[in-house]
Amino acid sequence: MFAVIHIPDFFLQAALRLEPELHSCPVALVEANLPKPVILQLTQAARDAGLSEGMTPTQALARCPVIAIKTRSVAQETAASEALLDCAFAFSPCIEATGPGLCTLDLKGFKDLCCDAMGKKILNRLLQLHLAGQVGVAENPLLALHAARFAHPFLLVENSGEFLRALPVESVEPSREMLSILKKWGIHTLGAFTALGQEALGERLGPEALALFEKATATATRPLKCVHRPETFEEAIDFEHEFETAQPLLFVLRRFIEQICLRLEMVYRVADELKLRLIFSDGPDYEHVFKIPAPTRQIDTLFRMLQTHLETLQTAHPIRGLHLSARPGRATPQQLGLFEAALRHPHQFYETLARLTALVGSDHVGTPAIEPTYRPDSFRMQPVPFVAMLSEQGSTQPHDRMQALQGLCLRRFRPPLPAQVECSDRHPVAIQSAQFNGRVSKANGPWLISGNWWEHPSWGREEWDIQMQDGNLYRLFQQGSDWFLDGVYD
Amino acid sequence: MQPITNIVQLRQLLAERFPALRQFSEQPSLKAASWPTGLAAIDHLLRGGLPKSAISELVSSQLSAGSALIVAALLRQTCQTNQWLGLVDGRDCFDPAPLDNTLLSRLLWVRCRETKQALKAADLLLRDGNLPLLVFDLRLNPAAELRRIPATTWYRLQRIVELASTTLLVLTPRPMVQGAQVRLSLQSRFTLEALMETEEELLSRLKIELVQRRSFAGQQEGHAWIAEAG
Repeated sequence: MFAVIHIPDFFLQAALRLEPELHSCPVALVEANLPKPVILQLTQAARDAGLSEGMTPTQALARCPVIAIKTRSVAQETAASEALLDCAFAFSPCIEATGPGLCTLDLKGFKDLCCDAMGKKILNRLLQLHLAGQVGVAENPLLALHAARFAHPFLLVENSGEFLRALPVESVEPSREMLSILKKWGIHTLGAFTALGQEALGERLGPEALALFEKATATATRPLKCVHRPETFEEAIDFEHEFETAQPLLFVLRRFIEQICLRLEMVYRVADELKLRLIFSDGPDYEHVFKIPAPTRQIDTLFRMLQTHLETLQTAHPIRGLHLSARPGRATPQQLGLFEAALRHPHQFYETLARLTALVGSDHVGTPAIEPTYRPDSFRMQPVPFVAMLSEQGSTQPHDRMQALQGLCLRRFRPPLPAQVECSDRHPVAIQSAQFNGRVSKANGPWLISGNWWEHPSWGREEWDIQMQDGNLYRLFQQGSDWFLDGVYD
Repeated sequence: MQPITNIVQLRQLLAERFPALRQFSEQPSLKAASWPTGLAAIDHLLRGGLPKSAISELVSSQLSAGSALIVAALLRQTCQTNQWLGLVDGRDCFDPAPLDNTLLSRLLWVRCRETKQALKAADLLLRDGNLPLLVFDLRLNPAAELRRIPATTWYRLQRIVELASTTLLVLTPRPMVQGAQVRLSLQSRFTLEALMETEEELLSRLKIELVQRRSFAGQQEGHAWIAEAG
């Protein structure tokens, strides 16, 4: 058995997926790329208002002033096609993308197949994806396609001959000339058409009639051209008007997240990574990847992640399009223990880090790592290791191997404070700087350190540990002829 | 409904009608928990460690008293207990150089440039509530900036930390944290010879005074408790 899912007025439905409330309003879809744009598809409310396909937008507005006119969006149609396939993959592994708004499912191997129940499930899933579909089930793909086109909204063909006989002759899509001839002959149904006989039709109307006869009898089956399960889940939109700020995008992004989460749910997966792409009217695209610390398909969690990022984003150009894709992954089970040190709310922590990054800058939040050099104050800031935070049950390095400190710790002045130093017998005896002044009571040094002599510029300096008369301990260094306070020992 | 004649009945009625209030009233047993610092001078004074879900203030009125050394010791303790330490560095003065990468891998370091920024960062991390210990270092921040912190800010942080299980330790140059449950004063003073001593020897010479300790009822206990380890 085969099932076909058919989305009537697919291009229009794809354009209205983000605004499902418009389905009950008069809306017309136009092809803007044509020299003379005409209406391609219409909602039922628009038809009731007297509009029809082929009209120009001006004619449509004259008949129905409240009509909303939408243009075709390739990005949205692609996203809707993918959503349709995701829905189909929830019911069968063998799926064919038959055409725009059409996909065929091979139901071979299903034991105790209950077509009615499955059809209802498919239709419900489609409605959640904001697509109104029709489902036909029959013994071969062509028959199932006929059934899907004439379903209300589900049709199971049990007696193929009886079903086909009642169909209008337009259902096999004859050419305009052929249809005209058949109408003149008084042939309106496939039953009347096939009653003429294959040989007679071939003799009188040629090869096209033979092909139509094959379609009208729908006895032949064919192998499906199966497509693979998608590796990412993507939603996209090209805006009709450009946006100056990122804030208005939040509404669209929320809808995107809802749809992506729904599609992930259908295949029993969670989002492992999100990729946001903003398309500007001019200039290169902006792309940002969100690594999700604990893969999830919670709408609020994912949305907050995007919202936090967009709140701090400043764009140089108006935004023309928006793409959001999610990489599916499997949920990682987490068992908290009595002595567990893992994060309790990893998503919240991720969001907090994003806010901190926005507050102080990306190079001022993280985990420091010492660089393999003797150059003073050499370290790099690393992103917080989420994987370790989530899964760590114990340190990998024994604690007794940790290096013990020698002496007091330094509180560094960043940048070092320039100082005027008075020396006696090449030893500092008094210091004057913007913050700290006084006489030196004791000084240890000089400690000569240098490095990177093989490259330009190399570095070198002369360090002193000094104790002031007020008891404070500082590190002082001389670089060239200049003196600096490096920090205070504390 | 019968009229309420005593406080016990009133409590029962409130507990029935507002279960959340009952949960709140049960919290002191949890709040009494403490976070052991591994420093004898502090753990002995505070009978176990820094209080959880509360603010502790460590006042270091003089430089070279060992406050940075205490931060390093706290980081070592968090590493040994497989936990994480958040450090909001009010003046970007923390020096990671003497610590090895194993210790540093347990540190979330937020390098701030001014007091206002540091307060916002501390607020965010406290609201997050994922980190068990947060050190808020304002020791080197200019006195003028610190004076501009309104008292309500500290009360706000206190309210936030009450709802989390985070331990907040604020390092300040003078007593300033309103609503701190514990206020410690660092009295030690090191000389140039201390730079040649080991961490263990220096920690054993820390002099810490318990200046103030609030009970949950808001009462202040006496002060002048001094711990001099070793």
